[in-house]
Amino acid sequence: MLGGAKSMSDNQITRFKWFWVWQDDAEEQWLEKMSRQGYHLTSVRLPCMYTFTRSEPVNYAYRLDYRSFSKKDKQEYLQIFRDAGWEYLGDLSLWQYFRKQVKEGEVNEIFSDNASKIAKYRRTLGYLGFFWAVLLFIVLERITILPESLPWWGNVHVFIAAVLVVMSYAILRIVLRIRQLRI
Amino acid sequence: MAKNSLKKYLPLSEATYYIMLALVNPLHGYGVMHEVEKLSDGTVKLGPGTLYGVFNTLEKEALISKVKEEDRRKYYALTDKGKEVLREQIARLKIMADRGRTAYEDLVTKRTEC
Repeated sequence: MLGGAKSMSDNQITRFKWFWVWQDDAEEQWLEKMSRQGYHLTSVRLPCMYTFTRSEPVNYAYRLDYRSFSKKDKQEYLQIFRDAGWEYLGDLSLWQYFRKQVKEGEVNEIFSDNASKIAKYRRTLGYLGFFWAVLLFIVLERITILPESLPWWGNVHVFIAAVLVVMSYAILRIVLRIRQLRI
Repeated sequence: MAKNSLKKYLPLSEATYYIMLALVNPLHGYGVMHEVEKLSDGTVKLGPGTLYGVFNTLEKEALISKVKEEDRRKYYALTDKGKEVLREQIARLKIMADRGRTAYEDLVTKRTEC
């Protein structure tokens, strides 16, 4: 996690923070901690930019879903969350950010069974797997077809290989998470 | 419809089962959440992410379909195929419950004897 650059106005702070795909729980906990300290997320934007507004501390549950959809489907999706008492804060790539005040006797989770939690991680795997395969193809193709024709290609190669290693690690972490949920 | 083609949907998960039960009558998302809590005597409280996921899958498999839209809320209901699957699931559950009853009574009397 790359700790934050911080800028301040009267009541707002902005933070930049990277989070890895397997750290969604930690991301939720970080936002909950900020809210308990009185900093409430107002927007989340690329590049990993979080804006908080300061007021009284609130015990919020922050939850992340991972989804892509058409504009129309998204409206229906958000309506269901709103009706269930969840506030939509925005999205960062395909992560959908929600929060709700924690209340006794209410459902303070967006997923109420393991099957739907597993489905969420499967969706992240779908995208990871796709880009992983594309990068692997690029690396292998270049090794066999264009070994030294482009002098600068070697560096790009090393970079892509490094990204591949990180992605493989991410895929492993998510697969392990799914196994844990399956019991 | 051939029973074999319906078998791939069974057994339904607890959430899916109650959602399909609720959709015997057309309902929107929030209505389904309430109905499921009521139908299950409060044992199943759906999260919105879970509900949306089940809607999505059931619609893709043509077990439910959109019937109308009011106030930006879409109403769903079981299709004929959906009704068939639900009937099959209930038949299976009935067998499970009937067989379980005897064992359950045994377990309860044994507990009180101890």
